[in-house]
Amino acid sequence: MDIKLRCVGLTGTEGFEQQPANGWKGMFNILSYTQYFDVDTDVVVNRLISSLYPNAGDFFSKIDANPDLYGLIWISTTLVFVLASFGNCATYLMEKHTDKTTSWSFDVNYMNVAAGSIYGYAIVVPLAFYFLLQYLGSKPSLVQFWCLWGYSFFVFVLASFLLLIPVEILRWIIIILAGAASACFVAFNLKSHIEGRADLSLTVVAAFLLQMALAIFIKSKH
Amino acid sequence: MSHGDTIPLHQSSQSDIDEIENLIHASVQSSSATVLPARPPSPPRASIPISTSPSPSPFISSNLPPLPPSNQKVPSVPSAPPPPPLPSSSSSSRVAPTGFGPAPNTLTEPVWDTVKRDLSRIVSNLKLVVFPNPYREDPGKALRDWDLWGPFFFIVFLGLALSWSASVKKSEVFAVAFALLAAGAVILTLNVLLLGGHIIFFQSLSLLGYCLFPLDVGAIVCMLKDNVILKVIVVSVTLAWSSWAAYPFMSSAVNPRRKALALYPVFLMYVSVGFLIIAID
Repeated sequence: MDIKLRCVGLTGTEGFEQQPANGWKGMFNILSYTQYFDVDTDVVVNRLISSLYPNAGDFFSKIDANPDLYGLIWISTTLVFVLASFGNCATYLMEKHTDKTTSWSFDVNYMNVAAGSIYGYAIVVPLAFYFLLQYLGSKPSLVQFWCLWGYSFFVFVLASFLLLIPVEILRWIIIILAGAASACFVAFNLKSHIEGRADLSLTVVAAFLLQMALAIFIKSKH
Repeated sequence: MSHGDTIPLHQSSQSDIDEIENLIHASVQSSSATVLPARPPSPPRASIPISTSPSPSPFISSNLPPLPPSNQKVPSVPSAPPPPPLPSSSSSSRVAPTGFGPAPNTLTEPVWDTVKRDLSRIVSNLKLVVFPNPYREDPGKALRDWDLWGPFFFIVFLGLALSWSASVKKSEVFAVAFALLAAGAVILTLNVLLLGGHIIFFQSLSLLGYCLFPLDVGAIVCMLKDNVILKVIVVSVTLAWSSWAAYPFMSSAVNPRRKALALYPVFLMYVSVGFLIIAID
């Protein structure tokens, strides 16, 4: 045993060695999170499609057994990228529409603003609702809330493609529709989650309004 | 090393250490007869012009954090004087058992040899990763011989190319590009691990870095010629090439039912970098 410890001591100060597959600190932490990513491609696609139908309030029952954070992370990342890139494009197209002489200018700051706002909203708002509902007596599950809000961004991703059209009135219509769809999705599912308790319906309204506010914000960033 | 210890060794430990020393001496002497291994640890001696060349890769063969700073001046000495037997041994004894085969005596070779070796490794990895030949004999070679110098060069080069192309806010552009690529590679690997895939962290970083090479080429072309249509075409072609190069590694790492989930983020990252290349004016 002394020999083995000495050998480790001789080589242990060398610094980096080839990372083993079952890493010392990595695997333990990763393993505890893989349960939230235990979804297949068809499951994710199914959840994405169901996020486009706001009136069926059954999202929670779909994800009950297996809520996933994959949707939250990658849909919000896609939304950040789409906002940053199409924001620049749309600004250029709008200015070109009104003033034929403008040239393309790329503002890197779009990326920072988009990233900060989308990630902040996606993480903080479900967290806030979780604490709020817990305080008011319901029994929510944080991962399910994150999942719900994550998938609700999918409509915004699709709408951002349409927002490239430089006609102002059309852009307003598109964003109002998309915002309403997403907000209804969140609100109906939240309503079915709280199981008809009337005093919590205010939270549902708040969720609706917040989602609309996000939609307006996305419009203004474009 | 243990000879500087103040704690007296147990008798059996001392004899075991002597045994290990003998084995190390035997292996060093069998590989190269020029260096006489000596016992004392290597104190920093700035006056001795050893032709040691700290191999530029900090991760692989010469893991030598306590090397004296005189080594930095060595590259100006083109040919090595015959190395004195003193401080090289304790380091060379640690070089031998690193798993990359019998170690050439990397401390006494000229700097150009070390640089050439690393460059050839980068080139061979590049050929294996970016120009995959389905009939090659050893498909796993690039995976075993991964290194991080290639990816580092490619990421920094891409950031620099984008920064040069930008007319305003150059440093912000570089920062965004570098952060996007570096953090992106880490997050993509974590994504595969979280989806239950089997991948080695640094191997995956290395492979994702090598797959950036086509985008580097695209960035250079776009920097030289500023036509939007050309940029779109070049970036699309190189983007497709990068994704095609990264596809086999990523898809083989996860369960086939989750392939798309692992590949989509890779695609997203390359598309965003491609967009940066097109959009920088």
